[in-house]
Amino acid sequence: MWFKLALTLFWRELRRGELTIIFAAIALAVLTVFSLSSVTERIRLNIEQKSADFIAADRRLASNHPIDQAFLEEAHNVGLNTAQQMFFDSMLFANDELVLGSIKAVSQGYPLRGQVTLKDDFVASEYEVQSVPQLGEVWLSEGLFYSLGLSVGDEVEIGAGVFRATKILVSEPDAPFFSLAGNKRVLLNYDDIATTQAVQPGSRVFYRMLFAGSEQALTDYYGWLKPQLRENQNWQGIKDRQSPLGENLARSESFLLLAGLFGIMLAAVAMAVSAKRYCERQYDPVAMMKTLGGSRRTIRNIFLLHLSLVTLFSLMIGLIIGFALQSFATDYLANFMNAQLPQAGFKPWALAISIGVVCALMFSLKPLLDLFDIPPLRVLRRNLGDKLAISKVHMGLSIFTIFSLMWLFSGELKTTVFLFGGTAVLMAVLFGLSRLFFSAGRKLGLSPGSSWSLAIATLQKRANANAVQLISFALAIKLMLFLFVLKNDLISDWQMQVPENAPNAFLININESKVADIESFFAENNIIHEDIFPIFRGRANGLNGETFARRTSKQEGEEQDEEAREGVGRELNLTWMSELPSSNEIVKGEWFSTDSTELEVSVSKGLAERVGIKVGDTVTYLVNERTFDAKVTSIRSVDWGSLKPNFVMIFNPVVAGKFPVTYFTAAKFAEEDAKSISELLKANPTMSMIDIKSQLEQAQSMIAQVSLAISFVLAIVLTSGALVLISQVQASLAERMQEIVILRTLGARGRLIKLATLYEFLLLGALAGFVAALVSDVTLLIIQRELFDVEGKLHPYIWALGPFSGAAFVAAIGYFMVSSTMRQNTQGLLRKLA
Amino acid sequence: MSVLSQLNIIQVKGLNKTVSTFEGDLDILSDINFTVKSGESVAVVGTSGSGKSTLLSLLAGLDTGSAGEVFLDGEALHKLDEEERARLRAQKVGFVFQSFMLVQSLTALENVMLPAELAGDQSAKAQAMSLLEKVGLSHRIGHYPSQLSGGEQQRVAIARAFIGSPKILFADEPSANLDSKNGHLIEKLLFDLNKQNGTTLILVTHDEALAKQCDRIIHIEGGQLEKIRDGEGAKAYVV
Repeated sequence: MWFKLALTLFWRELRRGELTIIFAAIALAVLTVFSLSSVTERIRLNIEQKSADFIAADRRLASNHPIDQAFLEEAHNVGLNTAQQMFFDSMLFANDELVLGSIKAVSQGYPLRGQVTLKDDFVASEYEVQSVPQLGEVWLSEGLFYSLGLSVGDEVEIGAGVFRATKILVSEPDAPFFSLAGNKRVLLNYDDIATTQAVQPGSRVFYRMLFAGSEQALTDYYGWLKPQLRENQNWQGIKDRQSPLGENLARSESFLLLAGLFGIMLAAVAMAVSAKRYCERQYDPVAMMKTLGGSRRTIRNIFLLHLSLVTLFSLMIGLIIGFALQSFATDYLANFMNAQLPQAGFKPWALAISIGVVCALMFSLKPLLDLFDIPPLRVLRRNLGDKLAISKVHMGLSIFTIFSLMWLFSGELKTTVFLFGGTAVLMAVLFGLSRLFFSAGRKLGLSPGSSWSLAIATLQKRANANAVQLISFALAIKLMLFLFVLKNDLISDWQMQVPENAPNAFLININESKVADIESFFAENNIIHEDIFPIFRGRANGLNGETFARRTSKQEGEEQDEEAREGVGRELNLTWMSELPSSNEIVKGEWFSTDSTELEVSVSKGLAERVGIKVGDTVTYLVNERTFDAKVTSIRSVDWGSLKPNFVMIFNPVVAGKFPVTYFTAAKFAEEDAKSISELLKANPTMSMIDIKSQLEQAQSMIAQVSLAISFVLAIVLTSGALVLISQVQASLAERMQEIVILRTLGARGRLIKLATLYEFLLLGALAGFVAALVSDVTLLIIQRELFDVEGKLHPYIWALGPFSGAAFVAAIGYFMVSSTMRQNTQGLLRKLA
Repeated sequence: MSVLSQLNIIQVKGLNKTVSTFEGDLDILSDINFTVKSGESVAVVGTSGSGKSTLLSLLAGLDTGSAGEVFLDGEALHKLDEEERARLRAQKVGFVFQSFMLVQSLTALENVMLPAELAGDQSAKAQAMSLLEKVGLSHRIGHYPSQLSGGEQQRVAIARAFIGSPKILFADEPSANLDSKNGHLIEKLLFDLNKQNGTTLILVTHDEALAKQCDRIIHIEGGQLEKIRDGEGAKAYVV
């Protein structure tokens, strides 16, 4: 019998709207989490896939020694796709010209991720392939064609072999972002290595094995591989921090995770408000049922069934709407990107369902359990049991749940603590400010019959309830401001990394005697360019008399850095400068003084931290078989994402003239500069040009994706915020009805009540917006500095935006929600109240 | 069960109710003793705060006393836990309240059926239909409380009180929220149904005229039983 009664009550409650809010709150949480996690997951996978393009694989094993073929066999056994690479230098000969080329031999299957870009002729269009040269053929970079006087289809000798140069190699996905190998690149079939006879015992050769497959297979494989790795064998993923792309990927992940937290927090607020309201509405029915002889068990069954049904239906609706939203968003993104976004898999489903259930349990179960304790005596003493409305256990559980969900979603304790702390501070400040505001309102001396006075009186009368509403409004506004500012700042930061005039090519191996010619060329052709830097190669061998230890294998995901690997034990590009580069900032010590006669060096912050270099230390270098020491006088932060020429170690000009150098610069070339570039390269055969246009385009397309993702997140948070406000205003409707009846009875006119209601929401919204701006700015400042490692700054515009948008937002929604109640006649209101 | 206990459907012996306040313990009821015979109608009167609603809550098992004994149809309420008291109420007790206490999300018919459904009674609907007809609301069975007038809501509450043929009916100021016309209608209906069903009626009121219609009137003042006198409906009982 209880089941039938429970179902009858359930459908009636739904129709009457009693359960609709709690239903909407869970559905909101589910759809928010599902759509956010699904879209972000799909974008993340896409970013990862695109990033994987940059290493032509999901993972790669780099080695200075030949790699054991058993590694390859085991990779095949666990279902991974593989390819092999071998790097070596060899002389290329054609038309009586001899040029040292940088050979990359690649096996069938290369590239496992991404495409190789080719041209059939110098003036032909570029196109992409996912293949390797045929046996007996090579693909050469354009510079080699110029240096060797070749045309496409001509023969070229590499070592002992003769090959036909069939394509112009424009780019490979894993081409070094910057390398002194320049554009003397040769792509050779792996099986033709023996034909060249260029690889002999003692030859300087570098090996790579590429892997692609599922995360699980890669993880399993690494588990097998790790114990067998030798010194100088590195397991590399896509998150190496030195590449601008890796840094942007890490930033976008952090940001999208942060954005995901906002949906959770809003859903939690909506759930807490709805659960409290729902339970309060059930006090009388429960007391009555107990009075009429309903057992505790029967009542418990009825309401737990309600919660289960609400959870089930809201999960279904939330998932359906969430799926539609994410499909719409990802279709839009896919169209924009002209690419298919990968499917997200089961993760968003599992996350959304579990969060829906957790929300239902943690934010509703405790109030429901309290509800079962309502004494039957309430039928005689109407206020009995009201104290259950604010349960410390419920509050504690809610706080614990929000924190746990934040942590689960961000995966970062530090982020969670910052956000949670920001919100806690906001609440404390809001409580204080609302008290101040309410007491100040009394001293304004407004006429007791004015709308403003009535609005302030209403706020004062429900001081505690209003403080709670104020906190919720402020939280929603804070989240919106937060997203707005993060979106603006991070996107503008990212866009600044790839500014309009960012260089799209590097010119390297410039002979000292040609520097003036190059400068003239830039001036004549109005080409935007960076300074021309001297470069020499060398190793940092020791610190304060101790030799550096070599780093060995590293797992992706562990804290790792290319600088540490390349900066210690491997050759570095070294330079000297008298002025600090624009994308650098001194964080410790001082930049070189002009009158110093000692050899001094400035070290990048990343390298200094990882290797343990401090200002005042002495670093030992090996350059051209000569060893010398330099004193560290400063540590610099370096913006590696700037795409400008950057150096981990910079000497003062005292080093000038001690070693032979070449020069290096970066410039932005336009399409119409192609002809003059060809002439420039012909006139400077030793110089090489590295085109990074395709890398830039890929980076920019990723920025566009992230920007769109953030806009989508902002839209969801705004919608969620609006729904939270609606549920809160709905929760206060009964009390408002009572007030309207009393005011009308006392002779208040409709206009007075309407204006008082409008002013009340305007004041609430403005105050909430003001405090939200205050707390947002402080939290943002900390987050920018601590999490994103960027210069923190205040955002004056949100101090205006917060109160104005808060007042407009809260007043528009609040007034709209109350307007139908205000239109109703007194008799209708009285009947509803009864 | 003795003949005496069958006739004395309510027995109250040395009943006390004390609550703790910031200023110390406060006696709400002190040493209350009386019996109510089966089929009798008893009014409990007193000024506001005299303890009459507390007495009703203790007699109905909605609350427990601090000391003393209460027997309801032979069962010692003071020895039962909350669940057992709820079972006893479901079997033997009906209620009518000043504020009607209808479940807003149920129709008039469903509200009347509610106690029988909670008790697992399969004939709930037929009984409810019959009772609604008796209170003159057979044309309003599908209406929700908010669609009914105050008088109609109280008639639904009276119909609900009589479902399951309870032995005892507790009514707390049943006409206090109604205008005089509707109030008199409700009072008449209550007494008529009480007589028809042979139910014992315990009526809490501050309305002397209404109290006089009962067989006996118990006066409570300052938490103490001041006097018991016969009402206009008083009749002889054979012990």
